[in-house]
Amino acid sequence: MSHIAKHILRFFLFFLVQVLVLNQIELGMGIQIMIYPLFILLLPVEMSVFSLMLIAFALGLSIDALSNTFGLHTSSLLAVAYFRPMIYKLFAPRDGYDALLETNIFTLGTGWFLKTFGLLMIIHHFWFFMLEMFKLNEIVFVLQKTGLSLVVSILICILLQYLFLRKRKSNEI
Amino acid sequence: MRNFLAFIRRFRVFLLFALLQGIALTFYFTFLSFPRSQYLTSTSTISGTIFEMKHDLTKFLDLEENNTSLQKENLDLRSRTIENLFRLDNGLVKVDDTLHKVQYEYVPAEVINSTHTKRNNFFTISVGSDQGIKRNMGVFSSNGVVGVIHFAGPKYSIVKSCLTEKLNIAVMIEVSGEHGFLQWDGKDSRKGTLTGISNDSDVVKWSKVVTRGSAGIFPEGIAVGKVEKASVVEGMPLWNVTILFSENYRTVQRVYVVKNLLKEEQDDAESHVPVDPQL
Repeated sequence: MSHIAKHILRFFLFFLVQVLVLNQIELGMGIQIMIYPLFILLLPVEMSVFSLMLIAFALGLSIDALSNTFGLHTSSLLAVAYFRPMIYKLFAPRDGYDALLETNIFTLGTGWFLKTFGLLMIIHHFWFFMLEMFKLNEIVFVLQKTGLSLVVSILICILLQYLFLRKRKSNEI
Repeated sequence: MRNFLAFIRRFRVFLLFALLQGIALTFYFTFLSFPRSQYLTSTSTISGTIFEMKHDLTKFLDLEENNTSLQKENLDLRSRTIENLFRLDNGLVKVDDTLHKVQYEYVPAEVINSTHTKRNNFFTISVGSDQGIKRNMGVFSSNGVVGVIHFAGPKYSIVKSCLTEKLNIAVMIEVSGEHGFLQWDGKDSRKGTLTGISNDSDVVKWSKVVTRGSAGIFPEGIAVGKVEKASVVEGMPLWNVTILFSENYRTVQRVYVVKNLLKEEQDDAESHVPVDPQL
């Protein structure tokens, strides 16, 4: 399967799973599961920040269109795309990134994944919940939502990679 | 000019970021206050169709609870029909009534998509402007108030539910008639707050809270919930009343949209209230 087709397919899968499955799940205590930033992480390393932002804008808008959030997801996902190159530079491996390998938990290790994706998700979740509440005096509730959703979302993202990416990696080797 | 181009080239990443953020945020904030277009909302045809398909798959999950509440409502209505009443005097009960005029019409609808964990929760219902639905019509179910129409597309509409920040439905405590506004603090989808009740009156625990019907959005007396507790607002002569909603917003499916046939007349009359020249 060619790379472009793979990413287009992923785009639709992330979109449908987020809208039809994860948006309907309620765990209480303000937890909201959002996994679509993983799509931005899995895009090729050499992709320019312009294309990243445009793709993020498209994915965000499609998710917003079906969750009645009118731009919340778009705005926070744009932030993820904007900060991705900086964070990638920050946590770059000693001999740089391999342009041929996908940046996931297997190719770059669990430590790198937790640092990079964790930081991106903190930005995304904090941005999202802060905009949603839009009140400084409810900062404790925003932080509670951010923290709890962060843990659940990252766990699900790790699980997803173990479920769907493991096999492809062993085929490539 | 060259400096300007150099500036753009230098900050082009940030400029594109700011531009796209601007679009997204403008859209978000204008839609929260006043919705203009149906694109990118769940009322558009594509998303409406997707949700209709999803709803067809999942609607049976809450079927039993919904049927029970509909049965209860039927029981209540049946007990009020004329056949149930014993006639004290033949000929006194008239069906063709000239003293009353129909003020409210109800359009049945189905909730096809809903959220309950966000700060502002909007429901999508399966009727739209083709059925005569307009912005600011009330929506309730057999258990109680659900919300107000926020935006009406041709076949689907978005309901601003009771679980939003600035809904402000006029409600009153049924026994005492004290009235205030219904609000939600964004934390628990079972509890709302009632503001504007003066603390020189007593608020009895578990007394019923119903709609007031003053704005012409809801008829009077539709259930909202029950008073759970009342605490004093610091520095103001007001109660902060916590109420337990009578509707379970997680499972609501069948709703009615209120069409007030005399709404225009009320608005017209109220527009003649003289504006205070000192203000």
